[in-house]
Amino acid sequence: MSADASDLSLVRRVQRGDKGAFDALVLKYQHKLVKLVMRYVRNPAEAEDIAQEAFIKAYRALPQFRGDSAFYTWLYRIAINTAKNAVVSRDRSPIEYDLDRNNSEESYDMQGRMKDSETPEGLVLTDEIRSTVNAAIDALPEDLRTAIVLRELEGLSYEEIAAAMDCPVGTVRSRIFRAREAIDRRLREVFEGGLGRAEELG
Amino acid sequence: MPRALRSSGRLLSLALACAVSGVALAEERAPQSSPPAPPQAHGPSTEHTPAEWLERMNTALNTRNYDGTFSHWQGGQVEMLRIIHRLQDGVVSERLASLDGSGREFIRTGSSLSCYLPDKRTVLVEQRPTDQSLVGFPTVNPQTANFYDIREAGHTRLNHRDTHVITVSPKDEFRYGYRLWIDDSTAMPLKSQLSDAHGHVIEQIVFASLTLSSRLADALFKPEVSTAGFQWLRNDAAPQLLPGATATAWNAMRLPPGFRMTVRSAQMLPGSAGPVDHIVFTDGFASVSVFVEPQPDSGGAVITQFATVGSSSAFSTVANGQKITAVGEVPPATVEYIASQVRAAQGASPVGARGR
Amino acid sequence: MNEELDSQLSAMFDNELPTAECELLARRLSRDEQLQARWGRYAIVGAVIRAERGVRLNAQVARRVSVVLRSEPALAGPAATGVTRVRNGMRWWQPLAGAAVAAGVAAVSILWLRTEAPSGTPSTVRLTPAVLQGGAQMHVRNGGAQSDSYVVPRPPTQPRPALVPSTELANYVVAHSMFSTPVARRNLLSAFMTSEPAASGTEEPQNNAQSTAQ
Repeated sequence: MSADASDLSLVRRVQRGDKGAFDALVLKYQHKLVKLVMRYVRNPAEAEDIAQEAFIKAYRALPQFRGDSAFYTWLYRIAINTAKNAVVSRDRSPIEYDLDRNNSEESYDMQGRMKDSETPEGLVLTDEIRSTVNAAIDALPEDLRTAIVLRELEGLSYEEIAAAMDCPVGTVRSRIFRAREAIDRRLREVFEGGLGRAEELG
Repeated sequence: MPRALRSSGRLLSLALACAVSGVALAEERAPQSSPPAPPQAHGPSTEHTPAEWLERMNTALNTRNYDGTFSHWQGGQVEMLRIIHRLQDGVVSERLASLDGSGREFIRTGSSLSCYLPDKRTVLVEQRPTDQSLVGFPTVNPQTANFYDIREAGHTRLNHRDTHVITVSPKDEFRYGYRLWIDDSTAMPLKSQLSDAHGHVIEQIVFASLTLSSRLADALFKPEVSTAGFQWLRNDAAPQLLPGATATAWNAMRLPPGFRMTVRSAQMLPGSAGPVDHIVFTDGFASVSVFVEPQPDSGGAVITQFATVGSSSAFSTVANGQKITAVGEVPPATVEYIASQVRAAQGASPVGARGR
Repeated sequence: MNEELDSQLSAMFDNELPTAECELLARRLSRDEQLQARWGRYAIVGAVIRAERGVRLNAQVARRVSVVLRSEPALAGPAATGVTRVRNGMRWWQPLAGAAVAAGVAAVSILWLRTEAPSGTPSTVRLTPAVLQGGAQMHVRNGGAQSDSYVVPRPPTQPRPALVPSTELANYVVAHSMFSTPVARRNLLSAFMTSEPAASGTEEPQNNAQSTAQ
């Protein structure tokens, strides 16, 4: 079993004409890609535009993807190139000098929120999502929390987590799944919840 | 990306720490107290000589707080990097990170220099003394004009900013030249080119974004990479200046025109087996470091090798139980020449007591 | 929701589901909106845990890409060159050995690393694609236009002498950097930060046993 059998099975479906499978890949990697692009471009909206462009390029280039590298590695390079090009070929000055203002700070505070130019609606939803997830993680039993943090934060494989937690791989899989279940229960309320802010994903 | 596995106990405590901090990471950090305002560069009413522009530029680079991304072109490749610099309460913090996936970072906090090399799973930490006399860089002085032609090439707009273009042209082939686009109001170099003695550009840096801030938080100077499982190499002792009395042997050395010794110290390098002599030569603009250390198993052969790191050159030679390495932002021939001269001087009079 | 199915979804999200089960689940995932929504929420959980600051968690990237994709032609299968589908379904791609190689890969394989002494006796180290895979950078050459393939630029006509820095060289570079002008220092460290990773077997500086008469 190759290391990214999961991604490859989706990629194969896309290559055979299944666009829904590409939607799944985008859902999985959109945040990572936006974060990557934000190294080049600070504005989140602009970063999202570039990430979107990178995904489209990846879709069109997918017939040439041969699985020599992991799908995400390949996607990552496309995103970097797209971001670089965007920076280089912007019409307006790429240099943002904040020099002449007295209070010369960047337009983001430590949470990475943009002042003034972001719709309050979108902003509130991001914060709500974050605090919901964090609260749910806090409430998890320790073994579930450890498992999912090792997976998502440290990127350890199930085997590595099993060694770290001294339990079988099957237990790791189950703990991660149950952690996600518990968090998802709360998260669904935010997305499907009654105040009419139902945002479908993807 | 999976990390190397360590004992489960340690990893578990790491996980617990992460589990706690994973939540804390999202929380707000306390704002930093604002530092005293850096000296302001004043307006264009004063005419500055080209050399003064260079001074102002160096001052800005050393004293302003800034955060920028720039493209670095060298050897036909372009990479993007981020640089963050802060001078606060007299302490310099600096971070230079590759944005293109190598994950390498250079972080300086005060007197501690750390080099994160994820591809080697290694972190180098060099502790430098806070004594300012050991930390310095070449400054343009009247002698420099003998070896470089410093002039203003024009006044031009670059990316919607007014800049002075200063050129520093070498008068011989021992050194490189620069062309610098220096921002009028802040004296920051928005674009800089390095060229060889024939005028061919061999390196270029252009800022894509640059923000000068009044305050930069500590969090900006933390590495992005996780160092779990990395090898940490530190030097244990701070460098010491060697007594100047032994400088006589060095003065007799033949050096490329204009170069003279400025600093000599003995220090441990991260992972080095013993103290390493570190001698700095400069012509006022370029500088070359020479490192001398014992290398017992060299046998009778003389072994030399060259390297380049970007446009900088490195040369090392192993002979008679010593390894001599020269590094500097000069052409390869210059580092070779200086290193071989050091080797000759070492042979003539063994310098410095090895027992420190 | 079927718990077994969700458990498989969770494992597949982590790349920990056996290939055969992936195939089945992939098909369901592409069609089942609720399953996709859950999959998307898994990604959000990861983003929150990693505290990906600044990234909007309700990012609309996925939705917008999906919309754009509707007017894109469906892909008709992988490009014909060099790929054979093996019947037992376990391995799909064959290694592209020999002739018909995409331009991008060919360019990578003829990149040279060369260490050269001024006396003019170069020793060359040829990088194989396997070695480069980890670190090769691919640069898009045609401006902002949409390009469907990524081609590595042709190697320079004069290969520049270059060294893959060892950890030891790093020491010297860092120690020296404190004595350069700020501009030179930035050049030096930038170059160091972006150097290619070491080719295998060159962890220690090469010993080109040249005897140089002094």
